[in-house]
Amino acid sequence: MRPRVLLVEDTPTEAELARAHLSAFGHDCDHAGTVAQALAIATTHPPDAVLIDLQLPDGSGFELMRRLRQAGVDAAFIVVTVNASVKAAVEAMREGAMDFIVKPYSRARLQVTLENALETRRLRAELEAARAQLGRGSFFGFVGASPAMQAVYRTIESVAGSRAAVFVTGESGTGKELAADAIHRASPRAGKPFVALNCAAIPRDLLESEIFGHVKGAFTGATDNRAGAAKQADGGTLFLDEIGEMPADMQVKLLRFLQLGSFTPVGGTKLEKVDARIIAATNRDIRAEVEAGRFREDLFYRLYVVPLELPPLRARGEDVLLIARHFLEVFSAEEGKGFQGLDAEAEALILAAPWPGNVRQLQNVMRNIVVLHDGPLVTRAMLPAQLIQPSPREGTRPAVRVERRARAVEPLAVVEKRAILAALEHTAQDVPRAAALLEVNPSTIYRKLAAWKKEA
Amino acid sequence: MDTINTEVARQLAEELPPSVLRSIITTFEADIGRLAQELLAAGRAGNAEGYHRAAHSIAGAASAVGASRLEREARMAMNPAHHEPPHVVMPRLMLEAKAAIEALRLLRP
Repeated sequence: MRPRVLLVEDTPTEAELARAHLSAFGHDCDHAGTVAQALAIATTHPPDAVLIDLQLPDGSGFELMRRLRQAGVDAAFIVVTVNASVKAAVEAMREGAMDFIVKPYSRARLQVTLENALETRRLRAELEAARAQLGRGSFFGFVGASPAMQAVYRTIESVAGSRAAVFVTGESGTGKELAADAIHRASPRAGKPFVALNCAAIPRDLLESEIFGHVKGAFTGATDNRAGAAKQADGGTLFLDEIGEMPADMQVKLLRFLQLGSFTPVGGTKLEKVDARIIAATNRDIRAEVEAGRFREDLFYRLYVVPLELPPLRARGEDVLLIARHFLEVFSAEEGKGFQGLDAEAEALILAAPWPGNVRQLQNVMRNIVVLHDGPLVTRAMLPAQLIQPSPREGTRPAVRVERRARAVEPLAVVEKRAILAALEHTAQDVPRAAALLEVNPSTIYRKLAAWKKEA
Repeated sequence: MDTINTEVARQLAEELPPSVLRSIITTFEADIGRLAQELLAAGRAGNAEGYHRAAHSIAGAASAVGASRLEREARMAMNPAHHEPPHVVMPRLMLEAKAAIEALRLLRP
């Protein structure tokens, strides 16, 4: 692509001469005679370089550089002036000029100065892009700087601007909803709704209504018209989590929606058209599900346009420490604790742990530590036993084993504590999962833990 | 010092197509006519800023086409350390402007 140069010069003779040179260099050239014209042109046709006369009818070249920067114009600024003083040169550089040319200048001098400035700008942009790709320690809601996550960030950025469906895969706790949210937030749809629906969490009879809505009287309890997730996501993004759990009849309806971009609410007769970008996710092996006939192949191909696989935490190297420190800071602030970091032994243990529950498990462990202990450093003693002495089968997670041995009659509080601790141990301190096994709210467990700590 | 810097004139003739050089000389003539009027008006009105700006533009235009003596006069007019008042500077500057235009007309391809 030809470099675009904005020439800001109010004296026609000089402008004509400079334009002749720029044209000979093969550059596209815009010309402005005032600060105001330069700002208007630069914001509508962003230049790669700006040649700036210092004295303009409505302001100085320095003022123009400041205003161009404020307007987000990222170009190489080259000051052109009749004033050859060192003071003027220093001031130009201080104001952000990349170079300085004194009038009169030869074509060769202009060419060398311009090419150097454009090359410097190009290299800076490449460096920034490389730094951004290699060194990002966080990206939207993600924390992690590992190569595996840099690849995830790049894919998200690449796909964000498109309307293509994205299929997110990854083990439980790897951040599939976070990835969907990041795609939405990085996309032109960011100002519109992001609607997430967990297909596994909704009773199969209600799933159609949850996605497509219903009209009043469609079924018992449908006392009013209700917009479904598809309608709510109009203009934005619809995230269908645990898509592998979707019943076969619902898969047909979803396929039809994806093909036509329209649907009929439950009990309705009128087609409704929506523009929603679809992101689906599952922790199942969706290809195996297709092969086994449990997931429709045609729907799979509709959804699996851009695959995005999230790596398990064990494949993310030192990200585990970045994430642990991040959660420690967040939970410490939330709980009013004074944790400042992890000691070396705790860091080594966290780094070596297999984390079968991925980031969610790490999150729960860190919350647990913060709730039950005080800082300033997380030590080995604060880590859950399972983390320190992982079972040989940790990577594949042992099957649920519930203590069935007969015991003497004990106070209810003791039984309760024993059950909660057993569930926590079984789930590697994953409070929400422990709560699910015990069929209580996670907040109940947090409350109990805090109370036991006070008693202790 | 020559009215026109021969080195600059040679460079322009080498670097620019004849039609472009002709056009630039024509533009220069128009520029100098306009800027001289602006300089004159600013000088008479005691408008220091306008006087400085017009002199600056004349210096720039003159330097672009190698009109060295005109450029020198314009730079002197721009320079606050140079104490000659406008009514002394301007006749010389006008003279150099006419000389530069005549010299450039002769160089027109």
